[in-house]
This record gives sequence, structure tokens and C-alpha cells, in this order.
Amino acid sequence: MIATFFLLALLQIKAPDAAQFVGEPKGIPLSGPRLEEQTMVISHELRCPVCQGLAIGDSPSIMAANMKAQVRELLERGYTEEQILSYFEKSYGQFVLLKPKFQGVNTLVWILPIAVLAIGFVLVVSKAKKLEVAPAPVVVEEPVDDPYLAQVREMVEKP
Amino acid sequence: MNRTVLIIGIIIVAVIVFVLFAGLGKDPQHIDSPLIGKPAPPFTLKAVNTGQTIDLQSLRGKPVIVNFWATWCVPCYEEHPTLVANARQLPDVQFVGVVFNDTEDKINQFLAARGSAYPTLLDANGKTAIAYGVGGVPETYFINPSGIIVAKFEGPMDSDILRANLAKALQ
Repeated sequence: MIATFFLLALLQIKAPDAAQFVGEPKGIPLSGPRLEEQTMVISHELRCPVCQGLAIGDSPSIMAANMKAQVRELLERGYTEEQILSYFEKSYGQFVLLKPKFQGVNTLVWILPIAVLAIGFVLVVSKAKKLEVAPAPVVVEEPVDDPYLAQVREMVEKP
Repeated sequence: MNRTVLIIGIIIVAVIVFVLFAGLGKDPQHIDSPLIGKPAPPFTLKAVNTGQTIDLQSLRGKPVIVNFWATWCVPCYEEHPTLVANARQLPDVQFVGVVFNDTEDKINQFLAARGSAYPTLLDANGKTAIAYGVGGVPETYFINPSGIIVAKFEGPMDSDILRANLAKALQ
């Protein structure tokens, strides 16, 4: 009787569910080593909200442990990686994604390093080309009218 | 060539200085909630202090203040009297406490020692906190009578902060 009462009480308790945010699972329910592996992969793509730049997979905080447990549960239920990341993004915003999305201002994060690298490469190549093409300085030998030098030449050239 | 390099260098340094300057004074822990202006994630949780089960959706029609806290959170001790006093002064506003990563015993001890004026719900696995994007405690969400989140406050509130945010829920 008491067990039934507690069971009924538990059934009444309902935390917000991922389905309300991202719909029904679109993948295959995972289990065993594949589940653990995928949990680790996704846990390293989500930022711990109470840490400084740590993934939930690396954080010892309780909040991170809860988030990791939820990632695991969602994978068990068949949610895809994209759906899980989207679920956390809907609650925490893009802040929670360790890999920023290629959109809006974030585009600069992806483009700027490549652009700076390309500009640097062009500068180095153009500088190198100039060094390569530059003619070697021509040394014009002017006739020297030095009696001492003439004497040395005469001595050297004498058989 | 040297002039070009100098100009590029100055531009790069100026951009870095601008970005660093823009970040000055900002709380690195602050998270802009994407839930502002959206329906509050529904939940049904058991109140540890009253025993009743609270369904957020059943509270539609009046403003709701959802305060996430824990007994191990020091700023929550500081904030608690403000919440209790305002809950007593504002009977038309529904205050709800949501405690995560805690135990019923500790919560009841806390409330017995410091008073209680509204239901305190236990979020046993932190799922409710995650759905609301809670980054730390205390954190408070203000929900208007239509069930839309209109404001979020991170950290301990005093009465002025509470009333200013509540005003957004009453508009």
C-alpha cells in the first residue's frame, strides 16, 4: 500500500522533458560501449556553465555531472547528437556549445584565423620573391692606377 | 613594405584592444537566457515542505517567481529572508523555490530554521535546472500570468531587484 502510494507520487513528478524542446528522438537508442563512447563525445562538446571554459566531460562539478547524466539518458532514448546539442542550446544559448556555430558574428571566429594565416602567407611569399628576383650587386672594377698593385701583378704574372 | 606591416600591426592590436575593452566589467559567468520571451518549461514537482505536488502550468493566471537555490549555497542564505518577506507581502504572486542537488532533510532543516512562505520543490536530478539553463544558484526566473519567462536574475536579490523584475511580469 505504502509502495503504491510512493509510486503514484513519483509518477506525478515530472521534470521538463527534451521532447518539449526538440521533439521525439530521431536516432537509434544506444547502449553498452557505444553509449559510453557517444556520451563522452557529446560531453566534450558542451561547456560546463559553472566552470571557466571546461567541458562537462572534464568538469568535476555537480552541475556538469547532471548534464552528463542527461546526455547519457537522451542517447539511451534515441536522441541524436544534433538534437541533444540543440536541447542544451535552447536552455543555455550558444554559450553552452564549445564549438561555435558557423553563423552570424561567430563566422568571424572561423574565418579570421584562416584569413590572417592567408595574408601572412602572401606577405612571406611576396617578400621571398623580391629577395629571389633582386639582381646581385654588380661590382664594376675600375682601372686602378696603383704602382704598388702593378708591382704585385708583375711579380705574380712573371713565370 | 615596413609601413604596410606597421599599419596591419596597428589594426590587429586595435581590434584585440577593442575586444578586451568591450569585455571589461562583464561577468564571465553571466549567461544571456534564450528563454526570455518564451514559454516557461513545464514541470510537476513535489514540495518538500508542504508535501503537495506543484504543477507549473496550473499556476497560469498569476505571476510566478521561480527561485533556484540550494542549502549548500551561501548567497542563498542571504537572499532567503527577502523572498520570504516578499512572498508574505505579495499574496497575488506565486513564489516557488526549486532546490537541486540537495536532500529533503537539509532543506527541511534550513526552512525550519529560517522560515518558509511558499512551496519548495525538490529537483532531484537537476533536470528542471538544466531545462531553465541554470548556471549557478541562486538564480530566479520571473514568469508572467501567460506562462512566459520575462526576466532572469543571477545571484542574490534584494527587494528592489525582486520588485523591478516582478514589474516586467505584471506588464
